[in-house]
This record gives sequence, C-alpha cells and structure tokens, in this order.
Amino acid sequence: MGTIIEATATAVAQERSMAPGALEAVDAAARSCLDRARRTAGELDLLINVGVYHDKILSEPAFASLIQEDIGANLSQPPDAGHGTFSFDVSNGACGLLTGIQLVDGMLASGTADLGMVVASDMDPEPGVSQGFDFPAVGGAVLLSAVDSRAGFTAFRFATFPEFAELFEGYVDWHDDAGRGLAHPGRNVLTVEIAESYSARALECAESTARELAAAQALDLAEVDLLVATASVEGFADALARRLGVPGEQVASPPDGLADAHTAAPAVALESVGLPAGSTTLFVSVGAGITAAAALYRA
Amino acid sequence: MEGNGRSVNGSRHWMALEGGVDGSDRGGSYTSRFAGIGVSIPERRLSTAELMASTAHQTHIDLERLTGVRERRVVGEGEDSYTLAVDAARDALAHADCAGEDLDVLIVASITHYVGGLRMQLEPPLSVSLKEALGAQRAMSFDISNACAGMMTGVFILNDLIRQGRARRGMVVSGEYISQLGRNAAREIRTIESDQLASLTLGDAGAAAILERAPEGAPGIEVAGFTTLAEHSRLCLAFPAKEGLGASMYSDARTLQEVGIEDTVPLLREALDQAGLAFDEIDYFIPHQTSARAIQKGVKEFSESLGGAPKHVVVTVDEFGNTSSTTHFVALWKYLSEGRFAKEDRVMLLSIASGLEVGAVIFKVDQLVERYGHDH
Repeated sequence: MGTIIEATATAVAQERSMAPGALEAVDAAARSCLDRARRTAGELDLLINVGVYHDKILSEPAFASLIQEDIGANLSQPPDAGHGTFSFDVSNGACGLLTGIQLVDGMLASGTADLGMVVASDMDPEPGVSQGFDFPAVGGAVLLSAVDSRAGFTAFRFATFPEFAELFEGYVDWHDDAGRGLAHPGRNVLTVEIAESYSARALECAESTARELAAAQALDLAEVDLLVATASVEGFADALARRLGVPGEQVASPPDGLADAHTAAPAVALESVGLPAGSTTLFVSVGAGITAAAALYRA
Repeated sequence: MEGNGRSVNGSRHWMALEGGVDGSDRGGSYTSRFAGIGVSIPERRLSTAELMASTAHQTHIDLERLTGVRERRVVGEGEDSYTLAVDAARDALAHADCAGEDLDVLIVASITHYVGGLRMQLEPPLSVSLKEALGAQRAMSFDISNACAGMMTGVFILNDLIRQGRARRGMVVSGEYISQLGRNAAREIRTIESDQLASLTLGDAGAAAILERAPEGAPGIEVAGFTTLAEHSRLCLAFPAKEGLGASMYSDARTLQEVGIEDTVPLLREALDQAGLAFDEIDYFIPHQTSARAIQKGVKEFSESLGGAPKHVVVTVDEFGNTSSTTHFVALWKYLSEGRFAKEDRVMLLSIASGLEVGAVIFKVDQLVERYGHDH
C-alpha cells in the first residue's frame, strides 16, 4: 500500500483586509485542492494544519478545527452515522508539511483514515508591529489517499541539529512601550530572527539527511527525476541540487515572490511541476531546530 | 479494502478509531500499552480564595462553589512550559525503566510554549530541545497542538504508529504554564457572565506518557478514537494578551459544556461498542478536568443515555485545577502513585476540548501498577 498525492493547491493571501489573512489563504487552498481532486470536504477523514504564524497567533483551538469549519467538513454528527473528520495542528517549522504527510501516511496504512489533507499557511499577524517577519503570505494544501501499489511516499527521514537552534527563531514576548500611555504600557510582539549563517547550515543539514535517506533506500541520487527542496530562504533548492548532483532543470522552483515561502513551501513548489508516472521525487525540507526532513515519492 | 470510518463488518463509525473487537483489516499487528506516566507538579499552591481576592474588580463570584476548584499549582522561579515538560518526561522514563535513547518518537503536546518566563516559543518546536535534553537522539520529534486534547491526540498518533510496528516505544509530553491566563483574567473579570471565567480554573503541570509495544497477548490500549465537531470551533479562543504578559482565553463556557456533553454521548457509545464494552464495565472513568460540576453533570447524562455508570469517576480538578492538555495524565499518575488501581482494572480517558475535539482511550492498567510500587 502506498500514499499518493491526489492534488495540491496554493492560494496567495490578499492584501490585509477585514478578513483574517492566514485563515483566508489556507481555506482557499484547501477548497481548491479538493476541487482539483473532484473530492468534497465531507470525504476528509483527517485534516492536519502545519502552519506556524496564524491570525492572532492563536494557541487554542487547533487552527485546523477553524479550517474544518470553514470548508464544511463534517461539522456535526448526523443521527444516521456517516463518518467524521479529525483535525489537529502539527508544528515542526518548515518541516511541518512533510511531518504531516508522514502522519497521514501512517493513518492511511492502518486504515484509520482513507483520505487526509495537510494544509499550511503563514501570515504576519500584526503588520507594522511584528519584527523580522518576511515570509510571503501564502497557503498550501496537499491531499493524500491510499492505493494498493508500491507507488507514493516510500520512505521518510527526519533529523535534528540542536546545535543550530539559535539560527532560526520565532517567538512572542512582551515589549514595554511607555509611549502608549499608562493604560497600555506595552504589548506582546512577534519576532522572527533568521541568522545569516542559517542558509549555509541548512544546506549542510539537508544534504546529510538526503544522503542518509538515499543510502537507506539504496537510491542513486542520479535516479532522482525531481527535487522539491525548501528551507524558507531564497536559492535553497538550486544550491542543494548542486550539492546533490541533481541537474538544475529537475528542480521544482516556486514562482517569483514566493521563493522564501515558509510552511506551505513544498505545496508552492509543486504548483510549477507535474509528477509524471514512473518518476522519482526527492522532497527535502529544512527549518528551525535545525530540523531536516527528507522523503521519497514514486509517482 | 476497508477504512474511511468503516470497520470490517461494514458498519460505519463517526470517530477515527484504532483497535477494537472489529478493528480495520488494515489495522495494527501489535498492541500498544502505557509503560510509564510521569508528572511535574509545581510546589507553589494558589488557593481559589487567594486568586479571587486578587481580582481588580469586586466580582461576588464564589468560584470554588461553582467549579469545585479549591486550589491549583502555579510555577515558581525558573519554571515554565519547557521545564515542566522535561521534568515530567524524566519522571515517565524512570517509571518506564527506559532511557531517552530508547524512544523512537517524541511528541510535545503543550498549548503553552513558554520558555524562559513568558516568552512564547513558536520556532524551533519545543520537541527539538526536549529531544536533546532527554538524549532521545533516534526519536522522530515534532510538536502538536490540539487545545486541551493535545496529549490525548499524541497518544492517538503514537498508538497508531506502535500498532503498525512503525515505532516500538515513544513519548507524549506536555508542560503547561497556563496559570498566567488566570492572572490576566483576574485583572479584567467583573461578573459571573465573563467570557474569561474559565481561565480562573487553570493550573500548571507537566505530564508525560510513554507508550510501548506490548508483549504478544498482553493487554494494553483496546480502543482509541477521536473526532472534531468543528461547528463549535469558535467557542473558545486563546491568543497573546492585548493588555498584559502571556495569553488570554475567551470562551462561551456554558455552551461548550452543553454541546460537549450532548454531542459526546453517541461518540462514547461508538468507542464502547468498538471495544465490545458497556459503560458500566469501565472501572475508572477519567474525563477532562474542567470543573467538578461539569464532570458530575456529564457523567449523569452519559450514564442515563448509555444505561449504566462506570464504577469510579476520577476527579482531581479540586486540587490541581484544570491543567489543560495534561489533566488525564496527572489524574492517572495520582491514582497510580496512590495504589488505587488493580491490575485487571479497565480505564477510559475522555477528552472534550476546544475545537470541539472529542477523544477516548480505553485500556487495561495491567503492569502499570507494578511500575508504581504496587502489586494488586
């Protein structure tokens, strides 16, 4: 049994408006993904959100439950049974999408679910106040189901490099602000800090993790037809391709303006390419931690 | 091939379910079981009387009578979400008689992510530093977030991985420094109708659960199930406070309680049916600990609807308050430590949390009692 990608989709968030940005973008991506696969929201058994920077930096409930309500996936239990949708959030930085895919893969294999969707979006929750937030506002979705063959995701590998934990940080803390008056002596502020050396360390971590996966799967990297590589920084995919010996034309490149997309990046990259039958795709994601994730996909 | 909420006998179920008497034909080859439960309970106590005396406005709310919460623990100097999680994780490892390097999976399920005081860490995930602190080099690690159902969701995920043989042993851990929501609420609350009332019941705690593959034929988790009834997803929202450090939570607690009880009845029945059990065959029922009154009301309605009551209902909210994602495991640890369980006892954990998340785990206690120095 294998887990295949039925469809992917992305949605670029609109300019800041009354509508909440990250939720609006991910809702649109999720709907579009279901439409492309000719599926309905009601067919979803699992919905996993892996975005990190939400509207209001919501910590409760799971952002996924809001998305589930917005797209109308089995909102309440009818008296005549049917099946429900289980939603929750996974947080693993830029490796979240691959982490979510691996969890769906497990639940498809066990029969706990038949159809799962992993979604992501990030948006500056408070433009003008937040510090260092430069990710483009985009949502992405990947729809997954099981097939009775050896196609699909065949292997995953994850590694952490805590010695580089300080190179990529996102946090909320209190900033005193006497200028706002006695009634408002300060505010909670989101800060994202990415060190200059992060790109270089991310490449090293990505290469070692990808090579370990290839070795464990007896894969010659020359057999890779497509490389989907993301690390929330521009130029990462091409640089990793050079290190792994994958030709540049076999790299999935996100469109201009989205090259440093964060958690939705793998879905964004897949928008520009197809996955031809018989092809082998190597997914590599790197994020804060440093955490590196690699996965093999046989179409 | 079966699946998609359909068991092998063709009946459909609403919850995503693992295990049971008619489990999916793609289900697990193995049984998973709890190998150790650990906690980290802060020493500092904050009574409800003290908390209510600190409100900025005269509220006339008898919170203790309303919720049954007599006191809760709150973090002291140097304690936060991370330290609570690490200490609970080490306690669980000691009880499970294993080391960090024995873990294949590490899941952090905290709602609060405070590290170094009230600095909320979004990236890297807490699991990266926890993995290093525990020496769990081999473990696949990630954080999840599912409100007060976080640890139960982690158990559901890990149970699935162990049942399939994808992992042999793993940990679900959470550290909740959440009492600061109560302090923020105390500054603003005026009447019993306040949408921040539930924040006053919150207490701090860390908890960890280690799951492992059970020896062939040994008992363990019989059924685990979860679903999200998302029509209620906006009944409770928490986010960084606008007027103070930390976070604030706003909830329609009354509606949440009402729909939580009403909508859970058929789901409880489904989980019990999947396990081939009646409600009165549950020896210890451990619901999410929101308030003594809500637990009492829920059990009454569940029992009337399901035609029988569990032999014991576990209530710890009176002494620990609502410790959010850790409540079930704090309660489980307390009863294990006090030697209240017998080996043959069957326990049901029930999660009803913002989302609306409803989850259930049914398991036999078995060898766990011996790991806490008891043999009965």
